[in-house]
Amino acid sequence: MILGVPAALWGLATLPFLILLYLLRVRRRDHPVSSVLLWQRSAPTLAAYRPSRRIERSVLLLLQLLAAAALVIGLARPALVAHVPAQGDLILVLDLSLSMRARDVSPTRFERARAEALDAVAHLRGGGRVALIDAGPRPQLLVPLTDDRERVAAALRALEPWDAAGDVAAAVVLAAEQPVGPGGRILVWTDAARGSLPALPEAAYRILGTSDDNVGITAFRAMRAPAGAEGLVRIDNFSARARRVPLEVTHDRSSVYRSDLDVPAGGARTAVFPITGSGVFSARITTHDMLPDDDVASTVLDPAPLPSVLLVSRGNPYLERLLGLLPVGRAAETASAAPAAWGGYGVVILDRVDAGPVPPGDYLLIDTVPPNLPATSTGEVRTPLFAAWDETDPILRFVNLTGVRVAKALALTPQGGRVLAGGDVPLLWAYEGGGIRAVLLGFALQDSDLPQHVAFPILVANALAWLGGGALDLAAGETLQVPAAGGSAAELTGPDGSRRTVRATEGMYLLPPFVRAGAYLLTTPAGVRAIAVRNPDPRAGMIRPGLVPVLPGAAAPHPERAALLTQVAVWPWVVSAALAALIGEWVLATRRRGGDA
Amino acid sequence: MTERATAGIRVERPLLLDPAFLQKLDTLSLLTRRRVRGAQRGERRSTARGRGLEFDDYRAYQPGDDYRYIDWHVVSRLDRLFVKMFSEEEDLDVFLMIDTSRSMAAGGPSKLLLAKQLAAAIGYIGLVNLDRVGVSAFASTIGPRLDRLRGRARAFDLLGFLSGLEPSGETDLTLAMRRQLAATRRRGLLVVLTDLLDPHGYERALLLARHRRFETYLIHILADEELVPAFAGDLRLVDAETGRAVEVTVDAEALRAYAEARDAFLHGVERFCFRHGVEYLRTTTTVPVETLVLRWLRQGGLLQ
Repeated sequence: MILGVPAALWGLATLPFLILLYLLRVRRRDHPVSSVLLWQRSAPTLAAYRPSRRIERSVLLLLQLLAAAALVIGLARPALVAHVPAQGDLILVLDLSLSMRARDVSPTRFERARAEALDAVAHLRGGGRVALIDAGPRPQLLVPLTDDRERVAAALRALEPWDAAGDVAAAVVLAAEQPVGPGGRILVWTDAARGSLPALPEAAYRILGTSDDNVGITAFRAMRAPAGAEGLVRIDNFSARARRVPLEVTHDRSSVYRSDLDVPAGGARTAVFPITGSGVFSARITTHDMLPDDDVASTVLDPAPLPSVLLVSRGNPYLERLLGLLPVGRAAETASAAPAAWGGYGVVILDRVDAGPVPPGDYLLIDTVPPNLPATSTGEVRTPLFAAWDETDPILRFVNLTGVRVAKALALTPQGGRVLAGGDVPLLWAYEGGGIRAVLLGFALQDSDLPQHVAFPILVANALAWLGGGALDLAAGETLQVPAAGGSAAELTGPDGSRRTVRATEGMYLLPPFVRAGAYLLTTPAGVRAIAVRNPDPRAGMIRPGLVPVLPGAAAPHPERAALLTQVAVWPWVVSAALAALIGEWVLATRRRGGDA
Repeated sequence: MTERATAGIRVERPLLLDPAFLQKLDTLSLLTRRRVRGAQRGERRSTARGRGLEFDDYRAYQPGDDYRYIDWHVVSRLDRLFVKMFSEEEDLDVFLMIDTSRSMAAGGPSKLLLAKQLAAAIGYIGLVNLDRVGVSAFASTIGPRLDRLRGRARAFDLLGFLSGLEPSGETDLTLAMRRQLAATRRRGLLVVLTDLLDPHGYERALLLARHRRFETYLIHILADEELVPAFAGDLRLVDAETGRAVEVTVDAEALRAYAEARDAFLHGVERFCFRHGVEYLRTTTTVPVETLVLRWLRQGGLLQ
């Protein structure tokens, strides 16, 4: 049994009012009597019998309540889902978009989809195989075609929607690539809320959802600005009616911003406000819509924009002075090239130090190339030039290398990573892999006038920020690898407070995909690091269900859908029952002497 | 069968009482528990001693006494003068008070019709026995009245008067009794025919009559539907006299509560009448008037 319009069940709340009206209403027939003297004298006795006895004895009220309840249930459009046993192979595709958490279908669109998918697996005829594809942000084949239905069912039960928009079209294409046998079909459960779906002959779509009523937080940032830290919240109204949305931003359970925003239908409003302090900030809007999951968002403002830094050098006044000025967590200097002494720092700067292979971690390398990095130095190059640099890269943001002269530099030959700046030879190179994240400057600061340029502090700050500074800002659905820096285990705390232990593998913490948006805390032996996970697609909150794609030349949705899942409308019978109850009440009331219809 | 109106005009109106029933009434007379003092000679022992036929007592002769009443046998035996005393047979003053308020229209036949029939029967018996019969209709005050009829020949006047009574007005028995007593100087038998459905109460009115030493006979007439209501449902009961309304859901529980109130009321009337020496007879409209007169009023001591 499913309900097409579950919100209609709120109408059941009118039943107590019906009883109240029954008690309060004045619908009495005038009846002349010779005197009311004795009736007045019996009134105190009669009072003892009202109103409970009256309710207990009223068949008419019972019929009225039954009629009203049946009418309300009928308006909720109940229907029975009948399953026709499927033949051949089945590929199940479930949309894991945020919009599938909408509650206009009871209990949610996704829960309904999962239940129907489990039913479809259970009703598959013998000989048929089943595969499962999740239509998340990056569709993947969770279970290849198999006869093991329990495995598919277990995978289905483990699925959860993401706080992101799923790529259903790509998932369907992926499903079409699977080697299904004759008569094989693709069953897709989605709300088709964003974009069109591919019309394939073998694909049957089950479109879930009835409402577009949703207002959500689509962006929440906390950032540091020259005038101080500030927060930014964007609210999108995806419904067709304007809404007034109360917004409250809290920090450490204290309110830091509160406002009522008038958001037009289909429009958005952005609030920018100053904030103080650092840590996790939470934003919440108070609305009554079909998707409450996007009514809450979190972000992180890291107390130190840049990580703790260990300078391994035989002496570098430029760097020493600069580290004293930059907002790093902490800074230290050592001449020891032993990696065992580098633990506990976010970034290690190797300044002209040949330390041999470096363990996994974040490194700023100056005029040195560890042997375990995919780059080699074939000698020196005299007076290389900064002929070009990638201004779009975050490491070179606001960095102008014009006029920087270099006396000599390493003749780098990188086999991976990306060259950020250079001319004939790479002068600035970045690498990420094998648990190592590194920025390599191919010349010594003493061999260049870079420290005299404004670009120098900006470049170092950007490099430190990229290597490990600030709060990590990720999109829901992304994965993250964090260098273990000698640690063996870390604890990941989710936005809902759940904790999960992550073991280091090959010197890296391989964090699981971030399904839910919000603020995560990664606690390692080196310290606590905040991770802000945001919803990457502002349209993920669109919940208006789309249409079933129509095959070219076809006039109606694909008939395969009806072949596997058939809805039998129940509401006509329920409404008929309501009418029957009303007629019965009317007949009883008109025939009953002294009736109270 | 028709009757003649008091104005002498013959009107087509059914008689209140059947002629055969009237013949039966000829043999009855009104009973009083004590002697009465009338204005004219009648067929009832009077407290006035003198010229009657029935010996009452002796007393010593006093100057001025009629010589004819000296008992010479006693004189010869006792050698003293004694005169014989006789009870003088005088007429009885009978006052009939009929409640004609709107509540008396209830019942089938109506309470008012039964009251008029009873009043006609009692009044007729009184007239036949040369009693003085007065009739007054009342609601909140005294309405039309007929005073001091005497003799069988006035029976048509009595019946005509009663036939013309119609229900109207609200009941105020106390006020009506006060005015009735103010208009009557002679004591006698007072028969009150009413349903006692008076929001002001009945006790004060009856006490006034007792205070004036009237021998009071209360005939309480009720309709069956007043004893056991024959309606149900959510009703707005409207008082026929006052227009006052009471909202009641009449079901088994309500009827039970009504029965309790009714019994309390009736028992209260009975106790009051017993305590204050008021003869009391309760009846309903479905009891035939002949049964009431020939059986219950005789057993009740009003008739013999």
